[in-house]
Amino acid sequence: MTQNSERPPLSVVSTWMGLIRCFPGLYSLTAALRIVVFVGIFQVVGLLIRFFFDSLTGSAPLAWGPNAWAALLLAVAVLRNCLIFTDMYVFFRWTFSTAATMRKNLLEHILSMPGARSLPSSTGEAISRFREDAEEVGNYTVWALFLLATGTFGVVALFTMARINLRVTAFAFLPMLLVVAVANMTRLRVQQYREASRTSAGNVTGFIGEMFENVQGVQVATAEESVLAHFEELNENRRKNALRDRLFNEILDSTYNHFASIGLGLILLLAGAALREGSFTIGDFSLFAYYLDFAIVMISTVGVFIARWKQAGVSIGRMDRLLRGAPASTLVRKTPIYLSGAFPSARDASPAEADFLQGLSATGLTYRFPGSEKGIVDVDLRLERGSFTVVTGRIGAGKSTLLRVLLGLLPADSGEIHWNGRLVDEAASFFVPPVSAYISQTPTLFSESLRENILLGLDANDAKLAQAVRAAALEPDLAQLENGLETVVGPRGVKLSGGQRQRAAAARMFIRHAELLVCDDLSSALDVETEQLLWERLFARRDATYLVVSHRRPLLRRADQIIVLKSGRVEDVGRLDPLLERCAEMNSLWEGHISEQSSEF
Amino acid sequence: MRPSAQIYLRLLIRYLRPQFGQTLLLLSVLCANLLLQLINPLIMRRLLDSALAGGSVDLLTRLAFLFIAIAVVQQMAAVGSTVLAENVGWRATNALRRDLARHCLRLDLSFHQQHTPGEMIERIDGDINAMARFFSQFVVQILGNCLLLIGVMAVLFREDLRVGAAIGLFIVITLFVLLRLRNLAVPFWQRSREASARFFGFVEERLAGTEDIRASNARVFTLYRFHQLLRTFWQTTVRAELLGFSMINVAWLLFSVGNAVAFVVGASLFLSGALTIGTVYLIFHYTNLISQPVQRIAQEFEQFQRAGAGVARVQELFETESRLAEAPAAAVGAASSAGGDRAGPAGALSVEFKRVHFAYPTDAPPEERRSEDERFALDDFQLRLEPNEVLGLLGRTGSGKTSLARLLLRLYDVDRGCVLVAGRDVRLWPLRRLRSQVGVVTQDVQLFEASIRDNLTFFDRSVPDVRIREAINELGLAPWYASLGESLDAPLQVGSGGLSAGEAQLVAFTRIFLRDPGVVVLDEASSRLDPATDAYLESAVDRLLTNRTGILIAHRLSTVQRADRILILENGRIREQGDRSVLASDPSSRYHHLLQLGAQGLEA
Repeated sequence: MTQNSERPPLSVVSTWMGLIRCFPGLYSLTAALRIVVFVGIFQVVGLLIRFFFDSLTGSAPLAWGPNAWAALLLAVAVLRNCLIFTDMYVFFRWTFSTAATMRKNLLEHILSMPGARSLPSSTGEAISRFREDAEEVGNYTVWALFLLATGTFGVVALFTMARINLRVTAFAFLPMLLVVAVANMTRLRVQQYREASRTSAGNVTGFIGEMFENVQGVQVATAEESVLAHFEELNENRRKNALRDRLFNEILDSTYNHFASIGLGLILLLAGAALREGSFTIGDFSLFAYYLDFAIVMISTVGVFIARWKQAGVSIGRMDRLLRGAPASTLVRKTPIYLSGAFPSARDASPAEADFLQGLSATGLTYRFPGSEKGIVDVDLRLERGSFTVVTGRIGAGKSTLLRVLLGLLPADSGEIHWNGRLVDEAASFFVPPVSAYISQTPTLFSESLRENILLGLDANDAKLAQAVRAAALEPDLAQLENGLETVVGPRGVKLSGGQRQRAAAARMFIRHAELLVCDDLSSALDVETEQLLWERLFARRDATYLVVSHRRPLLRRADQIIVLKSGRVEDVGRLDPLLERCAEMNSLWEGHISEQSSEF
Repeated sequence: MRPSAQIYLRLLIRYLRPQFGQTLLLLSVLCANLLLQLINPLIMRRLLDSALAGGSVDLLTRLAFLFIAIAVVQQMAAVGSTVLAENVGWRATNALRRDLARHCLRLDLSFHQQHTPGEMIERIDGDINAMARFFSQFVVQILGNCLLLIGVMAVLFREDLRVGAAIGLFIVITLFVLLRLRNLAVPFWQRSREASARFFGFVEERLAGTEDIRASNARVFTLYRFHQLLRTFWQTTVRAELLGFSMINVAWLLFSVGNAVAFVVGASLFLSGALTIGTVYLIFHYTNLISQPVQRIAQEFEQFQRAGAGVARVQELFETESRLAEAPAAAVGAASSAGGDRAGPAGALSVEFKRVHFAYPTDAPPEERRSEDERFALDDFQLRLEPNEVLGLLGRTGSGKTSLARLLLRLYDVDRGCVLVAGRDVRLWPLRRLRSQVGVVTQDVQLFEASIRDNLTFFDRSVPDVRIREAINELGLAPWYASLGESLDAPLQVGSGGLSAGEAQLVAFTRIFLRDPGVVVLDEASSRLDPATDAYLESAVDRLLTNRTGILIAHRLSTVQRADRILILENGRIREQGDRSVLASDPSSRYHHLLQLGAQGLEA
C-alpha cells in the first residue's frame, strides 16, 4: 500500500521515444516531409537563384534566359507550399495526439491513486501541467525533426560552398559555428529561468481557480480588492520572471543573428577581392548569402533544441510529480485517444458480483498526514454482516481519516485489512462498488445532469434509478427541479443545496447496491425530518453492513457498536450504555448532545 | 461575432496609456532598428558594384567593416525592442487580467453557478494569453513592418520608377489579400477556445472530485467523457489551425510571385543597361527583406485572429453585467444621512423584510423554488428584527431559509417588496458597505491555499497582527490556532488531509469576528462541528452575537437555543413565529413537535 517513490526522474529521451512508440506512423511521416522540404526543396531554390544571377552575367550552366529561371523558381515555390501544408497537418496531428496521450495517462493515473490524496497541489495548478506542460513536450519532439532536417541541409550546403570557394567558406562560416557553439553552452542556464517562469505562471492560474471557487465567500466578505491585490502581486511576479526568461533567450538568439550579419560582412570582406578578379560570381555570392540565412536558422535551431530540451525536462518533471512514483512508462503508455471512429464503452467491463460480506476486520491501521501529527494510529476494528457501526469523536479525532484509510482513499502507512478472513492487498481497488459504496462529508457533483451524476456511467434502468432516488429521500426535490433528473446541476453541483447534494450522493451510493455502506456524517446538511426519512429508508435494507461517522444520539443509541476515537486512537468500543458507564470521552461527547435538546424540557 | 477594430483600438489605448513613456521608448528603438535595416543593403550594393567594377581593395574593406558595424548596432536595437515590447505586453495584459478578474468577482452568483473555476482559468488566463501577443507584438510588428515597407518602397522608387511601381503593386495586392482574410478564422478560433475551455474545465472538475469518482467506481465513465470532449477539442482546433495556416501559406505564395516579378523586371532592366548588377541584387535583397514584414504581418494577423477570439470572449465577459445594479450615487448619498456614518462603529442594526416576494432567476439554483402553485422562494414574507434581537430560523431544506441570507447580503434582488437594513433599503446601500455590515457563515467554508493570516483576512495585509490575535483570543481559539502552525504565516493545510469541514468553520467564525459586522447570519454554522467542539464554541458564538443582531439558520435544534424568537419557514411562507420559550411550552406548536422528535430520536 505504500508508494514506491524511489525511482530516477523521467528522462526526456525515454519520454520522446515512448511518444514515438505511441504514434510511429505520424512521426515518420513528419520526419520524411521535413527532410524532403529542407534538403530537397530549399536546396533547389538556392541553386535556382544562383543560376538566375549567373545567367545575367553569362556564366550559368544552361543557356536559359533569366525569365526561365524565374518561372522555374515559381513552380518550385508552389510545390513547396503544398508540401508544407501537408506537413502542418501531420505536425499538428502529432502534437495534439501526443499531448492528448499524456493528458489521458495523467488523468487515468490520478484516478487510480488513493482518491483523497491524488493531487500534490491545487487543481488549478495541476491544470497548468495538463495544459502547458503536455503541449510543451509534444512540441519539443517536433523541434528535434526540425533540427534533423536543417542539420542535413547544413551539411549539404557546406559541401556545396566548399566546392565553390573553400577560403570564403572556411573564413566566413567556421568562426561563426565556433562562437555559436560556445553561446549554446550558456543556454544550459535557461532551465532555472524557465522553471521560475513556469512556477509563477502556475501560481497565477492556481489562484484564479481558487478565487472563483471561493467567489461567494469573497463577495460576502467584500474582500474583492484585497484578493485582487494578491492576484496582482502574483501577476507582477510572473511578469518579472517571464521577462527575465525572455531577455535571456533573446540575447542568445541575437547572438546567432549577430554572427549571421557579421558572417555576411565577412563574406563581403573576403569575396570582394575574388569578385574583382572574377573567380567568384555574383551568382556564387547570392548562393552564399542564401545559405547564410539557413545557417542562422540551423544554428538557432540547435540552440532552441538544447533550450527546449531543458524546458521539456522541466515540463516532464512537473508532470512526473503528478504521477508520484508510478512506473516510468506511465506518462507515455500507448493508449487509444479516439480522435475518430467509435468511442469505447462508457461502462466497466467487469460487473463482478460482490463477495458476500461475512466479516470485515482491520488491524493496526496507521496513517499520518505528511508533515503533521494528525492521522490515525494503530486502529483495530471488526464489522459483522448486517451490523451498524458508528464512529464518533471530537473534531480532528481522525473519524474521516479512518474511513478513508479503510477504503484505500488514503494510503495506509501500516496495518492489514481482511475481508471474510482474506487479506485485502489493495484497498483502493477492492473497496469499490459493488463491494462498498461511500459518501464523503462534502460530496462532489459535476456539471452534468442529475441523472448522470447519480449514475456516473452505471447501466441502470429508470425503475432502479427511481428506487435509488426514493431511498435517498430525493424525490420531493426532484419535482421542484426545472428538468427533474435532467437538470444540469452546475459546476460542482452549486445549483443544488448542500442537503440536496448529499442526498444525490446518497442516491449514487444506493443505486450501486453495495455490501458495505460507508457514510461520513451523512446528515450534517439535512434537517431533522429529512434525515429521519433517509435513515428509515437506509435501514429498510436489512442485508447491508453500515459504517458511519455520526454524533447523533439516535444513531448512537441504535448502533451495534460505537468506535470512540480520540486523537487518532481508539479510545473504546462497545454499545452505548456500557460505554456511557465506563468511557469518559463518550460521556463528554454525549453531554455535548445535551445542549442539542432544549434543557428546559 | 467579429470583434470590431474599435474594440481593439479601445483596448490598446486604455492599456497602453499608463505606459506612455515605455511605449514611446519602444517606438524609437524600433525606428532605429528599421532605419539600420534599410541602410545596410545600400552599402552592400555599393560594395558589389565597386568589386565588379574593379574598385580599390581598401574601399571594399572599409565598406565591409561599416556593414559589420551597422549589423551589430541593429542587432542590439532588435533585442531592445523585443524585450521592451514584451514588458509593455505583460504590463498591459496583467492590467487586463486584473480588470477582468475584478469584473467577474463582482458578478452575481447566477453567473458563477454556470462557470466552473477551470473555465474561469481558461477565460481569464488562456484567452488573455492569446491576447498578450496582440499587445506585445501586434502593434510593434504591424507598425514597425509597415514603416519598413514604406522605407523600402522609397528606396526602390529612387532607384527606378518601374521597379518601385512593380514592387509597390505587389505589396498592395498582397496586403489587400491578407487584410481580406483577416477575420476569416476568428469564429473558428472562438469555437476552438470554447472547446478547450470545456475540456480543461472538465478535467479540473474531475481532479477535484477524485474521491467520489474512485468510490463510485466511475473511472471508465470519466474517461469516456474525456474522450468525447477531447474529440470536440481536436475537431474544432484542427479546423482553426489549418485555416490560420492557409493564410500564412497564401502569403508565402504571394511572396514567391513577388520574387519572380522582381527577377523578371530586374533582369530586363539590367539587360537594357538601365541597372547595374549590384542594383539587381539589391532589388532581390529588398524583396527578401520585405518578405519578412509581409510574412510577419501575415503571421501577426493569424495571431490577431486568435487574439480576436480572445478579445471577443473577453468582451463578452466584460459585457456580462451583474443583475444587481448599484444605486446611483445621488440616491445613496441622500439615503446615507439616514443610514449612519461610514467610519462610526456600527453596533447592532435592525433588519426588516417588507412583503418580500422573491423567485430565483430561471438560470439560478432552482432548489428553493418549492411552492407548487407559486414559483416564489419567498412569498409575501414579513419580518422585523430589532437591533440585538436574535432569531432562530427553522425549516426543511429548500424552504427559503438560505434565500433570506442571500437577500440580506444582496446576492440577489427581491422581485417585490423590500429588504431594509438599519432602516435603509439594501438597494440603496453601497454594496460593499452593506456586505461589511452583514456577516455570514455559510455551510461550505471556502479556504485558500495560503497562510493562516491570508485565509483570515482574505489577503488584506493592512490588518495588524494584534487585531487578529485579539480576535482569536476573544473567540477562545488560541490553542487551536497554535496547533495549526507556529505563526500566522504558516500555510493552512487545505483540502483533503488538511482541515476538516468543522475546523474550516472555526476559520469562518474568526473571519466574521474580525470584520465586526452589525448583523450576523449563521447558516447552520455548527452543522459540522462534533458535540464536544460545538460546546466549546458556544461561548465564541455568544461572543459573536453580543451587541449584534443575529439570524441563526438551523436544521438542528440545539443551534437555535440562544434565539429570542423562532420562525419556521415552509415553502417560502411563515409557518409559525413567536417567542422561543412560549412556543417551546405550547404542545400544539410545530416547534414543540420538532423538539419532541429530536428528543425521542429518529427511529421510526
